[in-house]
Amino acid sequence: ENISDFSLNITDCAQVVVPEEVFFTVAAAGILENLLILIAIVRNKNLHLPMYFFICSLAISDMLGSLYKTLENIFIILCKMGYLTRRGDFEKKLDDAMDSMFILSLLGSIFSLLAIAADRYITIFYALRYHNIMTLRRALVILAIIWIFCGGSSIAIALFSYEAATVIPFTILFPLMMFFILCLYVHMFLLARSHAKKIASLPTRTVHQRTNMKGAITLTIFLGVFLCCWAPFVLHILLARFCPHNPYCACYMSIFHVNGTLIMCNAIIDPMIFAFRSPELRSTFKKMFCCAR
Amino acid sequence: MSALRLISNRTSQHALSNSDYTWEYEYYEYGPVSFEGLKAHKYSIVIGFWVGLAVFVIFMFFVLTLLTKTGAPHQDNAEPSEKRFRMNSFVADLGRPLESERVFSRQIAEESQSLFHFCINEVEHLDKAKQSQKGPDLEGTIRFQEGPRNSGMFEEDLNYLTKFNIPNFVNTEQNSSLGEDDFLISEPPIILESKSVTHSSHRILD
Repeated sequence: ENISDFSLNITDCAQVVVPEEVFFTVAAAGILENLLILIAIVRNKNLHLPMYFFICSLAISDMLGSLYKTLENIFIILCKMGYLTRRGDFEKKLDDAMDSMFILSLLGSIFSLLAIAADRYITIFYALRYHNIMTLRRALVILAIIWIFCGGSSIAIALFSYEAATVIPFTILFPLMMFFILCLYVHMFLLARSHAKKIASLPTRTVHQRTNMKGAITLTIFLGVFLCCWAPFVLHILLARFCPHNPYCACYMSIFHVNGTLIMCNAIIDPMIFAFRSPELRSTFKKMFCCAR
Repeated sequence: MSALRLISNRTSQHALSNSDYTWEYEYYEYGPVSFEGLKAHKYSIVIGFWVGLAVFVIFMFFVLTLLTKTGAPHQDNAEPSEKRFRMNSFVADLGRPLESERVFSRQIAEESQSLFHFCINEVEHLDKAKQSQKGPDLEGTIRFQEGPRNSGMFEEDLNYLTKFNIPNFVNTEQNSSLGEDDFLISEPPIILESKSVTHSSHRILD
């Protein structure tokens, strides 16, 4: 409350505040949506496939991200109202736990996206052997490994977050994974193009040049959404570590709450891009809601 | 974040000692930052970051669009029923009956690739039978844009293609039933004409 006493200059960057109603609405929508997807996938036996389990994993990561932000906001409110002390030991441990939840969510999202891309890659390039390569058991083992690794890394990063050695690998992992996922999809596109050219290059009837825009648009949307929602926060972490006193960095860090809201928007958009594109899942939803009435 | 909290603890020692602003959940604990004498706009990092991100996404979109430029597939003028029979029997040759939806969705991944090979092979096969027919030379993509030579036959091909549903990699105009779900995004929407298992002597391509 006496922070304004210390701002020496009237032109400094004030914290951009997101209204609490907006914040909680977005968070609640994200959590609900992903919970519905989990329930739908668990209840419908037809959806017990590796592909849907990876989508489940993504839904769990998104839920954790929204949950983290919600809990953080609740704690800020509790601190404002005086129920929690600001410097207590318990609060610091709670803060650490929540940080690790956030990093778990981010790592879980990245690895889930990677798993989904790899699954599609195998579907296309090893189509006839897909069923033997990606069995249900292997998919569950892969998911278990991913989540144990993410859990361990998140705890380690949260404990040692003051070291530059943890911040730098963390921020390098992010673009590296994105680039790798992009390469997987580009390779799939190239295969599609070469097949189409093979078909079209025979002396058949006239062929009209067509651009298959749909694939490009869809891929741009989901990689673009992931980047736009997570990159601002990752940049915030970088700047907070390396230049907290620089006025430019401080101005960037003043939009912290907006960055947090973006992460929760990612939790809302991801199901629309991945889960709801599947007709089977959509029909499961319809059944669920029709039976509930 | 604990990183931010620890930094603020260090800086608060340098700053005014009676400060109480190191509240870890709000992030204006970096102490008084002087904003005097800024050369660029104070939000320049914010603006620069978002502009850079937008440019990158648009660039990625253009690269992907270039990569996915394909030509629409056109089949030769074989009998539709014969083709359909071949496709069904070819898929059936994979050895698994298409009884339940679950089995179906498991197989479509395999069938998608095999159907592609099937398409290519079938066209090659028919092409060998019709060597004398000479269409436009379609090796260069530039030639794809030349106008249709035989517009009448073109219409027949289009009508034929409506019955021949292929994975949505290569988008045909009539492929409206598959148009909604892109192959890469949901399960490959192979729609078979019939689910009956028939056997034939077609080889399985790998």
